[in-house]
Amino acid sequence: MPMKKFVNDPDNLVNELLAGFVLANSGKVALAGNNLVVRAHPKPANKVAVVTLGGSGHEPALSGYVGEGMLDISVPGEIFAAPGPPRVFEALKLANRKAGVLLVVLNHEGDVMTANIAMEMAEKEGLNVKQVLTHEDISVPSRQDPKNRRGLVGCLPVIKVAGAAAEQGKPLDECIAIAERLERNMATLAVAVTGATHPSTGGIIAEVPETDMIVGMGQHGEAGGGQQSLKSADETAKIMIDALCNDLGAKSGDDLLVMINGVGSTTLMEQYVVLGGVKKALDAKGIKLARAIAGEFLTVQEMGGFQMFAAKMDDELLALWDAPCNTPALVVK
Amino acid sequence: MVDYNRLVAMVRAAAAQVRANQELLSKLDSHGGDGDHGTTMARAMNCMEKAVEDDQSSSLQELLRSIGWAVMGVDGGATGPLFGTFFMSMADAAAGKDALDANGLAAAFAAGLAGVQKRTRAQVGDKTMLDALVPAVDAAQAAADAGGSVKDMLRSASEAARDGAERTKSLQARFGRAKNIGEKSIGQPDAGASSVSLIFQGFLEGVTTHA
Repeated sequence: MPMKKFVNDPDNLVNELLAGFVLANSGKVALAGNNLVVRAHPKPANKVAVVTLGGSGHEPALSGYVGEGMLDISVPGEIFAAPGPPRVFEALKLANRKAGVLLVVLNHEGDVMTANIAMEMAEKEGLNVKQVLTHEDISVPSRQDPKNRRGLVGCLPVIKVAGAAAEQGKPLDECIAIAERLERNMATLAVAVTGATHPSTGGIIAEVPETDMIVGMGQHGEAGGGQQSLKSADETAKIMIDALCNDLGAKSGDDLLVMINGVGSTTLMEQYVVLGGVKKALDAKGIKLARAIAGEFLTVQEMGGFQMFAAKMDDELLALWDAPCNTPALVVK
Repeated sequence: MVDYNRLVAMVRAAAAQVRANQELLSKLDSHGGDGDHGTTMARAMNCMEKAVEDDQSSSLQELLRSIGWAVMGVDGGATGPLFGTFFMSMADAAAGKDALDANGLAAAFAAGLAGVQKRTRAQVGDKTMLDALVPAVDAAQAAADAGGSVKDMLRSASEAARDGAERTKSLQARFGRAKNIGEKSIGQPDAGASSVSLIFQGFLEGVTTHA
């Protein structure tokens, strides 16, 4: 079946998407060096810089979060594939400063390898860079072996709080401690109802039987078990938030941040209905929905489904979540 | 002996092999992966050839290092770091040498493999590139130990890589994206192992034509 996507040359897709992205957000972001996405108005050099890397095809992630209060530089890779170490090293050199650089890395094979090699080179050059790994996908059940947990949409709240801390002038060690505290207290579970097409190869990613949903879908729809008949929004919300609360050990009186991340073709309407279901399930447990957000933050082309993110928040994390940011994909005033 | 020019011939032949099989590699990757391995490897080979063209050094170490760095820059997930590390680690083993005999080349391959194994926890049997690379490097060493020529050694290595890649057909993926499809990954050879096999076939062709 021919792919129904508005693209030109598959080999030039990333260049073309970045060109349009910058045109659409010209006051906020710009391109530097070898397709590095940087702020149009750089942060003062006496503050910690926050950098990330990741495959393309997940728009607005990750480059959509470059801007005041979040990222300084994003290194976009090829479609669904991490950039190589040379460009990440280039970004680290560009971001390097006395205050330090925080590199946020999602736990995927290629991303981690690239980051590790870039970090080794950064060390050799004497750059002041520290790394934080996000791995919060609970479809791999064990917290004991976090290396097997994939990094999903949770990288964004981590970037949000670390970015806010950096913007406030907090030192690198404190930015890291904040990022890691949220990372330890967050969990994500994904559900898929329909698959997606790889926009340059035309290959089908993940197939979901007509009447089913798959709980535990990965970022590119890698199957992860949990196939079951399609349920209502409330039932699905309850299955997922229960699993997340269970993983987090959330109990009555805890403050939760919940994020519903539509991954492509699940409508905002559905996301809102699901969020309502989350509220009902949390009310029944006496857990407070302290903050909630719904929308398309990290997508997988036209895949149907969503990622549900939950985190146990303390006062400082909530304040950093509420702090202003001004990026193409997220604005907090 | 493999001197600078012969290494260039080997690398170019490897690139040609991979490019000729680009579609097959992507097709293999579409069982469990996201179907872009052929495209990524073809881009990696283009980067590699560009590095060869741009290299002014006439030093084996510099050439291998440039190739490694170029392959790493391919922006293709784990493929660039793994294949790039192979060449960069080979470069370390070629330091200060104008040419490699069978033993020297086998040692460089072994160094390349050791570099790759530092980057991944995958083992032989996990249905990855290591299922071709480990037997190829072992066979290269055995042939060199037996006093074989560079050509004999590369013939053994490429046969071992091809057999290793072929054996991945019956394996279940335990690494990379394909592990998520579990038993469904059985029946097709691994794309990464197939790429390793193609590269070693190219190396053999390169030394054969550039005698």
